[in-house]
Amino acid sequence: MISIKQVSQVFAVGKGERHVALSDVSLDLGDGEFISILGPSGCGKSTLLYIVGGFVRQSSGTVEIDGRPVAGPGPDRGPVFQEFALYPWKTVLGNVSYGLRQQGVARPAAEARARELLSMVGLSGYEDFYAKQLSGGMKQRVAIARTLAYDPAVLLMDEPFGALDAHTRNRLQNDLLRIWERDRKSVLFVTHSVEEAVYLSDRVVVLTKSPGRIKEIIEIDLPRPRIRSELLLNPKYQQYVIDIEAMIDTQPEPEAAS
Amino acid sequence: MRPLLRAPGMSALLVCAALLAVWEIAARLYGNPGLPTAFAALCELPRIFADPQAAFDILDSLRRMVIGFALALVVAAPIGLLMGRSPVAEALMNPLLMVVYPIPKAALMPLIMLWLGVGDASKILVVFLGVSLPLLYHSYQGARAVEEKMLWSAAAMGMNGAQRMFRIVLPAALPEILTGCRTGIVMGLITMITSEMISRQTGAGNILFNAMDMAQYETVYAMIIVIGALGILLDVCFEAVRARLTKWADKDADTTVAAL
Amino acid sequence: MNKSRRIPAIIGAIPIVLILAAWQGLAMSGRVSESQLPSLYAVALRFLEQMASPAFLADAGVTLFRLFVGFFIALVLGIGLGLAAARSRFGAAVIVPLVRVLGPLPKVALYPAFILLLGFDHASKVALVVADATFPILLATLHGASTVEPKLVWSALAAGTPRSRIVTSIVLPAAMPSILTGCRIGLVISCVVVFLAEMITSTDGLGHQLVIASRSFITVDMFVALIAISLLGLVLNFLLGRARKFFLRGFPEES
Repeated sequence: MISIKQVSQVFAVGKGERHVALSDVSLDLGDGEFISILGPSGCGKSTLLYIVGGFVRQSSGTVEIDGRPVAGPGPDRGPVFQEFALYPWKTVLGNVSYGLRQQGVARPAAEARARELLSMVGLSGYEDFYAKQLSGGMKQRVAIARTLAYDPAVLLMDEPFGALDAHTRNRLQNDLLRIWERDRKSVLFVTHSVEEAVYLSDRVVVLTKSPGRIKEIIEIDLPRPRIRSELLLNPKYQQYVIDIEAMIDTQPEPEAAS
Repeated sequence: MRPLLRAPGMSALLVCAALLAVWEIAARLYGNPGLPTAFAALCELPRIFADPQAAFDILDSLRRMVIGFALALVVAAPIGLLMGRSPVAEALMNPLLMVVYPIPKAALMPLIMLWLGVGDASKILVVFLGVSLPLLYHSYQGARAVEEKMLWSAAAMGMNGAQRMFRIVLPAALPEILTGCRTGIVMGLITMITSEMISRQTGAGNILFNAMDMAQYETVYAMIIVIGALGILLDVCFEAVRARLTKWADKDADTTVAAL
Repeated sequence: MNKSRRIPAIIGAIPIVLILAAWQGLAMSGRVSESQLPSLYAVALRFLEQMASPAFLADAGVTLFRLFVGFFIALVLGIGLGLAAARSRFGAAVIVPLVRVLGPLPKVALYPAFILLLGFDHASKVALVVADATFPILLATLHGASTVEPKLVWSALAAGTPRSRIVTSIVLPAAMPSILTGCRIGLVISCVVVFLAEMITSTDGLGHQLVIASRSFITVDMFVALIAISLLGLVLNFLLGRARKFFLRGFPEES
């Protein structure tokens, strides 16, 4: 479905210096696959996501979706950001129905669909609330519902649970899997948590620090649906986590941020 | 060529040149004596300054403006700082200031002249009134924004309230106070010119309207250039002073749009 | 160090009450003449009289007309130019230096030029209002529109919003807190400027009322005209503040 070929991304930083965020990254994301991109902070994993999303143009290499090159953002690749990015001037319902309205769906139909989605993410009854009245976890649910509303083929999730506390994070991971099991969309999920990556994904892609290269791609052979209480005691799961953490730990110490 | 274009003030000069050019073209196309060409207006300038009466008149006005400004600084800044740190002072003064805000200060000129006569006092007072509010507001905002933790460490070092005010709050609020001065001096100029246009006795505003009454249109536009230049000059000078005195200030902390 | 007890807002009335009391006291003391300082009571009475007088109301109407026409033109100009400067590099390159140069220029100095070109009646006064009120609105729009969180724009793009609609659909609403603050300032400036313009060239309007009163030495009427315009500015400021709160009810509280 998504074909990333030899993508590199170079940023100009300060006086003529260059920061190589990504170097020669190639990856294929199949239909219905859940892939996590894992790496330490500042390793270009978000950049890769933004390139696939069409928000940032790559310096070299190609990204194709279903054989067509990516030419900008679009409803086929729906983003979910760490900062939620909800529209403060709209209610919860307004936020979720926004994408549908943009595509010309009439208000009653759009709102009906929005209510369905809000119910799916567990926020029935909050339609008329404003973002500022919601907790972090609730805001992210709205953000997810908002992106799902326009039914993208691919979900691009950029450390979506990074700003939440551990307990909320666990709950949302479970909710995400529950929702994903329904349609089995393709998901590209960026995170710096090894446990999260192993828990959620079919494959885990480990990136190195700058210049960001693919260090390793690990197949996660664990049964679905993934149940947290079972997995935590599953030796295979534990081994995956240990192995991947070791992979990240062998990378050189991060340099001071320039 | 590129580095020249980026020299400070270059874009401002280009804008001025462009405006003068547009004016010149418009005046020629329009052909109305009410809009003399930029060139004609500029030619009037030496004549205005050569006239000692006019020159002294303008300088006198500026003198009164500066006195009014200085008085406002001495009175308004401390009140603003106090309001910024004392919830009582804030609650006491805020409603009064909100009521005073929409009163057109230059419009008080006839009333002030009724009470204080036509001398310097009334002219200085009206500038004082016009400058006080912006100065007070900026001092208030500057004092409010001072980090609580800074004051806590000062208190831990043994400083009492008054010492903290002078040695912590004042310097910390200085960038914002100086922005207030910049806004204030321009307000002072505006108030002064407006009050002169109303009272029609002395000053640049008076010269301007006299010229209009006597159909000396080139002089009118020349005076507009003079007053405009004064405004820009004052603004630039005060901004330079502010930048100089507060080199240490965090650039990002200046969220007022006056930083443009 | 921290006084966390609540201060009753009512203490803010104290300075106002004191000033009014001092005014009335001074007037009644006999130390000043009626024509120098009319009593608070006399002014209030005259104010109510004038509020019922068709001539006065006609003047007030003229002032209001100029005020609102000027403000709305300034609104359109300010927001339009501000958005253009924020979203387009060419726009910024042209508009920002213009604003920097023309900002500190006392626009009232242009009033004689407006009179020469547009006459003594409404147009020149409206032009002055536009010249003065556009700047705060423009600056506020520029600031608000250039600090919009990019992720908001990205979300909208991904949802299928065409680029041509991003400005109206996302940038404008997101910039509203800043724009509405600029509008409040612009509205009060419009009140002040229209009044002053009417004082400088007195033909009609509330400013004209003050000038005739001062020429005829009827101090009471001077007070009434001043109070009328100040009250107008106060009420408009308050109304716009309320409207702002209403439109921004979804936004997080500002400090």
